[in-house]
Amino acid sequence: MEDVARRVAWVAALVLVMTTGAETLAWATDGEVTSDTSSQFYDVRSPTGQTVLMRRRLTSTLGVGAYNIFDAPLGDPNAGQIDFRARLRYDADYGVSCGESSVPPPTGGCPSASYGSFVPGVSANGVDLMYAYLEGRRLFKGLLGFKLGRQYQTDVLGWWSFDGAEVSVTTPAYVKAEVYGGLEQRGGMPLSTSRFEADGVWRGDRTNFSGSAYPAFQPAAIAPAIGVALETTGVTWIHGRLSYRRVYDTGSSNVTEFASGLYTPASYGAGTGIFPGMRTSTDRLGYAVDTSFSGIGGAKAGIIYDFYRAEVTSAYANLDAYLGSKVTLGVDYDYYVPSFDADSIWNFFAGEPHNDFGLRGNVDFDKHLSIAANAHARMFTVQTAEFTEGPASVGMGTPYFPTNGHPFDEGGDVSARWRRGETRFGVNGRGDFGDEGDRVGADASAQHVFESRYVLAGRVGVWAWDDKLQPDRSTTSVQGVLTLGYRFMPRSQGSVEGECDDNHLVGVRFRLMLLLSLGLGSK
Amino acid sequence: MTKLKIAFALLPLFAILLAVSLAVAEGADGPALHGMAPLFGDRSVPVELLPPGADDVGPSDVVFPQQQIPIRFNHAKHMTKEVGAGCKTCHGGAYKSTSVKDRLTPSGEQCDACHSTDHGDLAHVKPGDEPMGQCTFCHLGYKAGAASTVPAISIPRANLVFDHKVHADRKIGCPQCHGSIDRIELATRDQLPRMRGCFDCHQKPDSASRGDAKSACQTCHPGGGSTGTTIQTMFASGTLEPPRWLHNAEHTPDFIARHKTIAADDSQFCANCHKEDFCTDCHDGRVRPRSIHPNDYLNMHAIEARMATQKCESCHRDQSFCLDCHMRVGVSESSPVNAKDSGRFHPPKNIWSDPPRKAGSHSFEAERNLNACVSCHTERDCVACHGASGVGATFDPHKNGFKGGCSTQMRRNPRPCFVCHQPGDTALSACQ
Repeated sequence: MEDVARRVAWVAALVLVMTTGAETLAWATDGEVTSDTSSQFYDVRSPTGQTVLMRRRLTSTLGVGAYNIFDAPLGDPNAGQIDFRARLRYDADYGVSCGESSVPPPTGGCPSASYGSFVPGVSANGVDLMYAYLEGRRLFKGLLGFKLGRQYQTDVLGWWSFDGAEVSVTTPAYVKAEVYGGLEQRGGMPLSTSRFEADGVWRGDRTNFSGSAYPAFQPAAIAPAIGVALETTGVTWIHGRLSYRRVYDTGSSNVTEFASGLYTPASYGAGTGIFPGMRTSTDRLGYAVDTSFSGIGGAKAGIIYDFYRAEVTSAYANLDAYLGSKVTLGVDYDYYVPSFDADSIWNFFAGEPHNDFGLRGNVDFDKHLSIAANAHARMFTVQTAEFTEGPASVGMGTPYFPTNGHPFDEGGDVSARWRRGETRFGVNGRGDFGDEGDRVGADASAQHVFESRYVLAGRVGVWAWDDKLQPDRSTTSVQGVLTLGYRFMPRSQGSVEGECDDNHLVGVRFRLMLLLSLGLGSK
Repeated sequence: MTKLKIAFALLPLFAILLAVSLAVAEGADGPALHGMAPLFGDRSVPVELLPPGADDVGPSDVVFPQQQIPIRFNHAKHMTKEVGAGCKTCHGGAYKSTSVKDRLTPSGEQCDACHSTDHGDLAHVKPGDEPMGQCTFCHLGYKAGAASTVPAISIPRANLVFDHKVHADRKIGCPQCHGSIDRIELATRDQLPRMRGCFDCHQKPDSASRGDAKSACQTCHPGGGSTGTTIQTMFASGTLEPPRWLHNAEHTPDFIARHKTIAADDSQFCANCHKEDFCTDCHDGRVRPRSIHPNDYLNMHAIEARMATQKCESCHRDQSFCLDCHMRVGVSESSPVNAKDSGRFHPPKNIWSDPPRKAGSHSFEAERNLNACVSCHTERDCVACHGASGVGATFDPHKNGFKGGCSTQMRRNPRPCFVCHQPGDTALSACQ
């Protein structure tokens, strides 16, 4: 009960801060306060019909922004500008039981309190700082820009977040140079999530853990990161960005996960079982380029080279042809190899590349109706030759690497959208077919806003899937969603959403959502 | 399922055939009267007469909201040598205008000299004696006996930052933005500038322009102000979206599936219109977006995760987002002993893990899509069999060619090596 009271107090505090902050900043020269809150209530059932999760989830964000702090003339592209933006998020699942959330187990009041049902990393109530940075743009006659604080980076190397500083110099020679450094945002660290770290390591906050509890769960530590980038600027028909980033793992890591575990004697490192010290986490170089010629078409391409794995881990290329003003046709190629944090053993496993080929088209019938279609095929590379650097067989008289005989998946989708004023209709159908399973279905959705205030939206869909590895998990699902909302200010809306799903494996389920978006600003 | 599969696979083909037919058929003409349309008979205006950059759709309804001009007017005739009018004759205000707020169309009085009319008092306009002095000669929809009441002209203010004077002072002629008006009868929205035409000059980075034509968005688009974006995107006339010719970033129904190629090479492009929050809603979101994960997605996500039709890693981390939940619901081998058991997830053991390998074997699934394994298993699950010693020591999980690069990997981060190999393991010597 105390726990619930504490959580409610957290939410109340956030709302209070938002409200008082709004009153203060709403009248500032250029400021804003925003907040998005969602409450989700639904149960997750397993394919056998058993309820395995009860979600009672509350997520609330509080954002503040102060723009043009030094009051440069708005609309003047010559004027330098300083902005500040920050966003805090509270995310809690009240459906987590006492036994799932207690480490160490409480002394009383929780019948199932033990490590026996606790999963490290499942956060009962987490607050994270999504971003908070001071930004300078077009300083010193457009030459200099900077960002200081927790910020995102977006380029071919992915969508990434770090705490630190970025400085960019926009040269008159159509090139922008950028350098940044700091600490990668990592799960288990204060006010952080694991969303932005490289995958492949189960990592987080081990505070209050004994060494024997979940030895595979690695302790979080700071991760220094540096990066540089060169990007074209100014010219619009061609654009490219060359980007390099290196991140280090630090702190200790358990390598003896079957022994007594972390922080207790084991076999590696003079009997500690702990691997210490600074080491590579990720080390990658990426380049992406884009050209577009009106009335003709365009091309895009990108590539990532992983220095740790010493191979290309991702590449793509698109060609687009503009046929008249309404029709676009395109072909796509995508190459992808699973890659992980250098602390992970999975970099060394035989995870093979995907090679995706696609053909797509889009037709803008008029300003209201557009239809897009896509057909794609995936060619898997599967290791079929005998492995010559290790044992040639498993000693059971069978080849070690026989072919699986089916290296292709295929599929397609069609999407249509009609929109006019505050009315929108959409239809999306999709089919994917492969050795692991098939999936076919379609959704239709509609939304209309009455009198610019009252929102009515709905969605229906039917999807069937065929699980070829577990045929008894195949079924057809029917879904209906109804949303009612009210816009009480231009950037603020409250809505209620009800969802009903039915399939014969798990039966009928309902999902209720309450959503509130607030946006208050000086403009 | 096979027939459905064939039918579904053919859908895109039909759509593409339809698209090509439409492209070929594009460009039909219709009848019209003199001065009622840009060209007599409402013929299509050749591209060479249109403003530069007008070889795509446009102009934007959002930037230049729809207008109502119930006027019959022939620019071409007025600009002949016989009549002798130039741009400045009627639009002199444009040469001094510094804002889109300025009204740049001529008043009725400017017509009076030639049309023998008198627009001096708009409440009591006096028509001329000749036919071309009658109200109906120019004012469409004028009804006899309606005195001085004519259908109103509506030209909403453009949602732009624009200074005519700056351009005129630099000797940028009217046709450079508006096309060949001297060969056009009625000027419509079609004679308004196209963004692509602006880029004929506006190609300079901020630091290089030295006051010349910058390419920064806010040079022409109103700033985002308190919305936190570079430019304002929401207007009464609609939402501003990028045109197709600009990185093929037109927000088509399939844009969500191809947006990564646009975001990947230009760190700022998306941020001109979108704040981080727009990205985080999906890429770091807490509410399932139905446009990406439709229908009863929690129940069918395993199929898609195995096929990897969408890369789960674009938004989720296998070893946190996926693993945590899979452990809670009991589908993971590392699940707590008291976790609710949702039943065996994998195929039967004789298919999944017993030798010899066959279709459906876990090793094929791992090679095909290793991320799917990582979303449920911790590394100890694999090491239990694939480690250098123990029950499965001979099941070497490394791929062909592994030895060629392992010395680099071991030098830069040997930690994963020691998960399976003891420091003195002879197998490690090949990588040292």
